[in-house]
Amino acid sequence: MSLLIIVQYLYVPNFREFTPLDQNAPTNTFVWFLGFFAALFLGWNIVSLFSSRASGMLKKRAPIFTAAFLLLLAYDWATLSTGMLPQPFVPWPDAILNAMIRDREILARSLYHSLRLLFTGYGIGVGLGVISGVAAGRSASIRYWIQPLVKVFGAIPAVTWLPIVIVLSGNIPGGLFGGAVLLIAVAVWYPITSTTMNGVLSVPKGTFEAASTFGVSKLGMIFKVAIPASSPFVFQGLTQGMSIACTALLVAELMGVEAGLGWYINWQRGWADFAGMYAAVVIIAVTFFIVNAVLSMIRNFVLRWKEGIS
Amino acid sequence: MKKGRIKIRDLHKSFIREKTNEDLAALENFNFTINAGEFISVVGASGCGKSTLLRMIAGLEKPTRGDILCDGKKVEGTSPDRGLVFQEHALFPWLTIRKNIAFALKSSGRYNDYAHTIDPLIEKVGLKEFANSYPHQLSGGMRQRAAVIRSLAVSPDVLLLDEPLGALDSFTRMVLQDEIIRLWKERENTMVMITHDVDEAVYLSTRIVVMSPRPGRITEIVPVPMPYPRNRGALEFSELRTRLLKTLNFAADVERAKGLEPSTSTLARWRSTR
Ligand SMILES: Nc1ncnc2c1ncn2[C@@H]1O[C@H](COP(=O)(O)OP(=O)(O)OP(=O)(O)O)[C@@H](O)[C@H]1O
Ligand SMILES: [Mg+2]
Repeated sequence: MSLLIIVQYLYVPNFREFTPLDQNAPTNTFVWFLGFFAALFLGWNIVSLFSSRASGMLKKRAPIFTAAFLLLLAYDWATLSTGMLPQPFVPWPDAILNAMIRDREILARSLYHSLRLLFTGYGIGVGLGVISGVAAGRSASIRYWIQPLVKVFGAIPAVTWLPIVIVLSGNIPGGLFGGAVLLIAVAVWYPITSTTMNGVLSVPKGTFEAASTFGVSKLGMIFKVAIPASSPFVFQGLTQGMSIACTALLVAELMGVEAGLGWYINWQRGWADFAGMYAAVVIIAVTFFIVNAVLSMIRNFVLRWKEGIS
Repeated sequence: MKKGRIKIRDLHKSFIREKTNEDLAALENFNFTINAGEFISVVGASGCGKSTLLRMIAGLEKPTRGDILCDGKKVEGTSPDRGLVFQEHALFPWLTIRKNIAFALKSSGRYNDYAHTIDPLIEKVGLKEFANSYPHQLSGGMRQRAAVIRSLAVSPDVLLLDEPLGALDSFTRMVLQDEIIRLWKERENTMVMITHDVDEAVYLSTRIVVMSPRPGRITEIVPVPMPYPRNRGALEFSELRTRLLKTLNFAADVERAKGLEPSTSTLARWRSTR
């Protein structure tokens, strides 16, 4: 237990000693940033002394965290210390952090806009996708119409429609925002519909028959049998849909929507404020990472009944 | 008055084979009345239509001809009054054992009346420690036990069992046979059970229905006039077992004799099974 923790413990203060050596660093933000994590790990180490669970978690993650900080170190070194990467197009971590702090208000507002767009579109797409997927899975005649729709349009990347949405945005309720919501919803709808349909189709006949011998109602067959029974497939669609939704969101914001992080990136690029641009990129990366992590946590919880999960 | 009287009248079932469009008779000329509270076992060769018969009584399959009455009412579709334990357990994998049972009770609208019986039932079949486990965490035999009590919990007038103990070792099997008898005596419901085990049929039933190979017809109805609990070592017991085995073998012999001298009908049947 202790060996890895000590290694970890030794690494983190290393960064701390390293950064103040950079004479040309205008601020200490990066030091604070690293110091924060150093303190975090120090705290974790102390907790580990008392809790075997915390220690196990730390031991498992120590190598990857160490690698992450080494990468950060290498990046800092390649930009700030040596200027190896072309300047000023690749700002150093300290500058990026400072840009985040400077523009925190507008960044927060952009983040809010992005997330609102993402989840409105995603939510609508998921809702409609589950409904049409279950309907197609249960009824052969509905499947007859939905299957080709999914096959043909599902093969076209949703962002293909973006120029049309932009042109028509004047006629869409909610304007460009409404259009982008529509775009994301449609993009998410395909994978959800097709995975849900396949999920319902793969439910053993006996499951529905057993339910019917207990007198399960029609609605119960859908909500209490078909959907839970096919939930592993639905979650496959939810994950796929989320990555498509993220792509669609960014493309929409970079190309047309006048709010959100994508828009902020463009705006900063226009002003040649590369640190600000990078700040937004980092925020996008972290946000999408968190969104996906939460989604997979929900998935693991909901599918805890399944073999091989948990 | 006891409920669960089943009257099967001139039942006939054939399936249409998808590829050849041929008619495949699974069940023919089936006439049989089961009194309320009886324990009927159905024995017969594999593929003779036993499951099909049970599915029709449950209301999952429509007869091609004839009909089935349950307490005077024609069977049209499923009902919580007629429970079915499937050949493959068919528990809901996303629910724990206790929730599987609770779900059955809620769906049948009997939760308020029987919720208090869930835990005792689970305990009775030795699944107490697994009440909060998911089906995949149980052994095959445990799943089968869980499926039996799930259907029983709803307290159906008729419980249809499709080889419920087929997957179990003989020791567990005997324990559960006693358990089934006890539950049946307690509930006084009608039981219709398919089995491949002649001993099991003799040990449990009030009457045994022997079916001929496909298309399934009743070869013989054998009453078992022995009081419960029965003694597997009794002379009467082994005599009945021998007699049943003979009947079953006889049925197979006839089929074999036919096979040597193929008539048009057996030839057609032989083709249809290919
Ligand atoms: N849905 C179906 N479609 C076509 N044929 C079917 C169908 N269900 C059953 N059959 C046919 O009906 C016959 C009787 O099947 P059934 O399942 O009732 O046999 P069984 O007596 O239960 O056999 P086992 O003891 O092996 O379970 C078989 O020949 C089978 O092929
Ligand atoms: Mg069968």
